[in-house]
Amino acid sequence: MKYFWLSFKAIFVKDIVTELRAKQVLPTMIVLGMLIVWILRIASETASISTAVMGPTALWIALLFSGLLAQERSFATEQQQDCIYGLLLAPVDAETIYLSKLFVNVVMLCIFEIIIVPVVFLCFRLSVQNRWLALIGVLMLGNLGISSVGTLFSAVVQLTRTRGSLLSIVVLVVLMPMMIPATFALLILFGDVPDELVGSGAIIFVGSFETAVGYMIAFDAIFVVACWLLFGLAIKE
Amino acid sequence: MSERKQKHCTANTVINISSVSKAFATRLILDNIDLDVARTQSVCICGVNGVGKSTLLRIIAGLLEPDRGSVMLCGYNLRKHPEKAKPQLGVVSHKSMVYPNLTVLENLSFFATLYGIRDSTSRVEELVEDVGLFSYRYDKAGILSRGLLQRLAIARALVHRPVVLLAYEPFTGLDVEACEHLINVLANFTNNGGTIVMTIHDIKTGIRCCDRVVVLDKTQLIFDAMFSDIDTTSFAQDYLSYARSKN
Repeated sequence: MKYFWLSFKAIFVKDIVTELRAKQVLPTMIVLGMLIVWILRIASETASISTAVMGPTALWIALLFSGLLAQERSFATEQQQDCIYGLLLAPVDAETIYLSKLFVNVVMLCIFEIIIVPVVFLCFRLSVQNRWLALIGVLMLGNLGISSVGTLFSAVVQLTRTRGSLLSIVVLVVLMPMMIPATFALLILFGDVPDELVGSGAIIFVGSFETAVGYMIAFDAIFVVACWLLFGLAIKE
Repeated sequence: MSERKQKHCTANTVINISSVSKAFATRLILDNIDLDVARTQSVCICGVNGVGKSTLLRIIAGLLEPDRGSVMLCGYNLRKHPEKAKPQLGVVSHKSMVYPNLTVLENLSFFATLYGIRDSTSRVEELVEDVGLFSYRYDKAGILSRGLLQRLAIARALVHRPVVLLAYEPFTGLDVEACEHLINVLANFTNNGGTIVMTIHDIKTGIRCCDRVVVLDKTQLIFDAMFSDIDTTSFAQDYLSYARSKN
């Protein structure tokens, strides 16, 4: 157990130090996130869509795509100089590598959320009325889901040298079941479920805020455990 | 080149490759390879491009799974007991396997931690001195020259005091001075009880730094001899004309 923590911490610290020095991921994530929010703000104005509907949508789109950027980089650095073989040759479990990479991606996305959430709130004039903890909880659950799937597929895409747009295609498809309750959780939190959705199949499926959060917890548990178990197979050549 | 094979299996065997076969899709790369390497031996695996030298080394390193057969490292099956087999092994590739944004010390400390080295600070400092990187210890790996990077790669491979060192074309891209330094480091490693298996193109360098040669061709080991048992000059000539005929 002590060895697990030592190797977990070593890989985590190594990745964070590498990112702080390279400054490759966070600036790109922030610029992309801001662009998405800004474009969707303009779109919501021109299409006269409620900001309480467009705000959560913009937030999840920014989180998803910026998260993909971070996850893509997490194994790209291991490909430089064949560093991944250095990791695989060491007596470290594939599961430990996965968990530390996942933790790095969760932290990166948390930093991004700290920056992008106030921007979304300002742009879309949103208010959660003293339900900050619920908002943080929903964002953290979304963060964990996006990072768990993204970390696994980033390894598959980078290590099989497939690259290109495969990561975003696969991750978006796999994440779809979680993104439906995630979007509804925020819509309910901001108190504006669109009239056309009230009584629809999707809202009946999600039900209340608590049910939506329940679905997110279930999907996160499934994603994290499944990806953790599959990671060993994914990095086998 | 005359066909010659001999068995080097002793009680001291540290690498035991038994009936290993590997194919990629329908192309057979290695067919029923048997090879034993004794402690303190340094073996160079020769052969023209594409005969499976790197594949064989990757199988020994556990980075590639053979279709058939097994590899034992110091008595441990690489597949069944990787946690015991992996610490016996250090690998040097033509790529350094170090992080360009970390310093020399940080890279070595990172790998020392992964291998569970207890007094990692003193081990890392000792290694940095041994490979001649003391004055570069706070420099990022990304700014080191090819020769210095190869020294760092060797230090990384030796940080956990492995019994076996696998080296893929370790002399590629090195100047004469860097080659000499590497030959000395490899000699020190075997003098201290280590075993080396390397792939090499320059047979003359192989003769200088190894004591045994195996030649791979058409999925098989076609030649296996101790350099002390053969006339190295005529072997080098024979090998060069054989390699030319293959290219």
